[in-house]
Amino acid sequence: MKEFIIMADGTCDLDAATAEKYGIKIIPGHLVFPEQGDIPSFSEWGVIGRDEFYADLKKRPDEYATSPANVEEFAAAMEPYAEQGDEILVMTISSGISGAFNFASRAAEQVLKKYPEAKIEAVDTLRFGPGFGLMAIYASQLRQQGKTLSEVKEWLEANKNRFHQAGWLDDLSFVAKKGRLTHAKAFFGTLAGVKPIGEFDYNGLTTVLGKAKGAKKAYSLLLNYIAETIEDPENQLIVIAQTNRLPQAEEYKRMIEEKFHPKAVVIRDVFPLCGVNIGPGLMAAYYVGKPISADLSEERAIVEKYAE
Amino acid sequence: MANRRINGRQLEKMLKNGLRNLVNHKEEVNKLNVFPVADGDTGTNMALTLRHGLGSAPSRTEAGAYLKPVSEGMLMGARGNSGVILSQLFRGMYTELARCGWIGPGELRNALIRAYKTAYAAVVHPVEGTILTVAREGIEHIRTQIDRNSTIEAILSMYIAEMRKSLVFTPELLPVLKEAGVIDSGAYGYILIFEGMLDQLYGKEHTVHDKDGEKEEREEAPAPAADASLFNENSTFEEGYCTEFVLQLMRGEDYDQRFTLRSFIDDLTVYGTSLVAVQDGTRVKVHIHTKKPSKVIALAQEFGEFISFKLENMQLQHNEVLAAGAAPKKPLSIIAAVNGDGIDGTFRELGCDQTVVCGETMNASSEDFVRALSAVHAENVVILPNDKNVIMAAEQAVRISGAENVTVLPSRSPAEGYYALAMDIPDSDDVPRRIKLMKDGMQSTATLTESVAVRDYDSGGVKCLSGEEIVLLNGVPAAASTDWCDCMITALGRVPGIEDAESCVVFRGEGVSEEKEAILLQRMAEAYPMLEATAIYGGQSVYRFIIGISE
Repeated sequence: MKEFIIMADGTCDLDAATAEKYGIKIIPGHLVFPEQGDIPSFSEWGVIGRDEFYADLKKRPDEYATSPANVEEFAAAMEPYAEQGDEILVMTISSGISGAFNFASRAAEQVLKKYPEAKIEAVDTLRFGPGFGLMAIYASQLRQQGKTLSEVKEWLEANKNRFHQAGWLDDLSFVAKKGRLTHAKAFFGTLAGVKPIGEFDYNGLTTVLGKAKGAKKAYSLLLNYIAETIEDPENQLIVIAQTNRLPQAEEYKRMIEEKFHPKAVVIRDVFPLCGVNIGPGLMAAYYVGKPISADLSEERAIVEKYAE
Repeated sequence: MANRRINGRQLEKMLKNGLRNLVNHKEEVNKLNVFPVADGDTGTNMALTLRHGLGSAPSRTEAGAYLKPVSEGMLMGARGNSGVILSQLFRGMYTELARCGWIGPGELRNALIRAYKTAYAAVVHPVEGTILTVAREGIEHIRTQIDRNSTIEAILSMYIAEMRKSLVFTPELLPVLKEAGVIDSGAYGYILIFEGMLDQLYGKEHTVHDKDGEKEEREEAPAPAADASLFNENSTFEEGYCTEFVLQLMRGEDYDQRFTLRSFIDDLTVYGTSLVAVQDGTRVKVHIHTKKPSKVIALAQEFGEFISFKLENMQLQHNEVLAAGAAPKKPLSIIAAVNGDGIDGTFRELGCDQTVVCGETMNASSEDFVRALSAVHAENVVILPNDKNVIMAAEQAVRISGAENVTVLPSRSPAEGYYALAMDIPDSDDVPRRIKLMKDGMQSTATLTESVAVRDYDSGGVKCLSGEEIVLLNGVPAAASTDWCDCMITALGRVPGIEDAESCVVFRGEGVSEEKEAILLQRMAEAYPMLEATAIYGGQSVYRFIIGISE
């Protein structure tokens, strides 16, 4: 039986080699860069490097913008496969922070009108960046195990709420400006060394669960948090995403390996399609564990317990 | 001729003379600062407090009736700890004299006793060697010598003499005074007021020799622009205009020369409510709520011309309140006292709903906080005074306003206030937890402040000459040097737990260059590599750098 197609929008931050390895087709979004105007999103550093990009973003955040692929673009990506009779699973960034899921769903309807025999399923991952990327890898692995499109979709819907984020975002100004925090009016003042600890809520928005003063305390809190929420760490791939916090991410990786002995820990960069809206201060691990409680009360309690 | 009793009008003259005497010695009082830092403001704060009280009181013959608005005005206008205590002393006097038309020897004695008792009761931890001690001993040592034949002059003379004796003794009771070689500033200010009052009875009227006395009232922060969309062609107009002006009475045949405040007030009363009119020489300050400002203007122009004039549509404000009322209350609002535009901005960015913008010496009044409290729309409120000398004014404001669910977190510096906000989690609906997090953030913070010593100092192992650099750690001198940066690094070493601290905020003061900031950060990073210092433009006065280190 022919394998179905997995598509993910560009915010999953999978580089070309990884996407190739897992057979995931990336639908790029749009970036607006100063002096360059509208350019397609990318997930490999080329002309501009990581440090250079985040330094410039910090300097002139208002000159950068992003937008997801539009309905036509999603449809254009799907159509050739639909035409040749392939089934398609399209995964998108959290609907809490982007319209991509809506666009992809409408594109699917449009394509299905033209090819009524085709099969297209869209999944709102409720995640972004490397957390979303990790979920796409899980989908690919399930496909490899011989699961059907419907089975994989079902698994994703049932389990997406188990994809945790344990990390800090030490500069909230970017998420605050773009309305990507739960709190209606996010507070984005400079936090001198204070690390807000963020987790995804039920609607796919990042919520600040607690704060730690300094990296040392933050690491300790995060490791405890992971220990309380992760399931079966030895058999997991844990992804650490970092925007411009590589040394901290490397330290975090070492600690996670030492404490949990996972199958693998990989550090991934966050590329501009997400990075513009997150800013340079993200350093977070993504893994699969216990379902996240509806009001985050259990997760808050864990943070409270370990925050001295 | 000696007075056996005085009435409200005499009391008014006496108090005004007392204020002028205090104003003339204001700088002297300000300089009685325990530490050699130019943030002393006791004289200024006491004068502002008393002036606020006297400015709110029209002349009255009955002493009690005159004192009522004086006392209320002082409670509202209280600035700094000394101002708060002064307002409590006067509240005590008023309470005793409320029903008195005249003040005789017995009434005066009882009022002075009630004054200090009220002030003691208002202070959570009364400290001896301060204005409290002096006010207490002043009357307790002479109360048995007062009988019904005592004259007011005699009582006040004895009271002042006893207070002077007590004042000299304050350094013995309060070691910090002794070490600094100063007497208690608040106590001295209080005595100056009574000396001026007594002088008035002896016919010695003081004149204020520095013009500064008049303009030191810092400018009120401009009120945020009202949302004009809340008043339109369909609105009702019931509230009228809040009308405020200063009228200069004019000479010349174009103007009616028979101005009297009494009849002016009587005439104005017809046009509106909430009327306050105060005359100072040939100027009259008026506040009135009226639907017909044209009538008020016409009446005023019979006597003179306007120095300034302000007119606000109160219906608009009223509608705003209604509109705000329709919006759900926030679970928690935060009010903070700030000095410096950078600190103001930082606090707002971190989620502060209202800031009380303070002048050079952080002299926020209770009234400022009352206003801020009425401007927030929340179930719970936290106030961050950000200066040890503002905490009492904030607490007094809570009592005056009667507002419920208000917590004054006694932050003693902007750095403590900063960490209270930095550790807050606005995402959480758990208000007690948020308050606890803020409190923990505040309490785990050490504050360093750097400035130039205004006099020689030698105590607690810290020694410097006037003009040298001095750094205070939590308000106490920790290091001094001829080099500001050395001084800072030395003081940093005195911070408990500095070796393990990672989180640090540096507020750069007004007029301090970014180069200096870069030098400081560089030196700090060399000395304490683990410390993640973040510099923020604070724009504060007095202190070139304020550093917060939080564990």
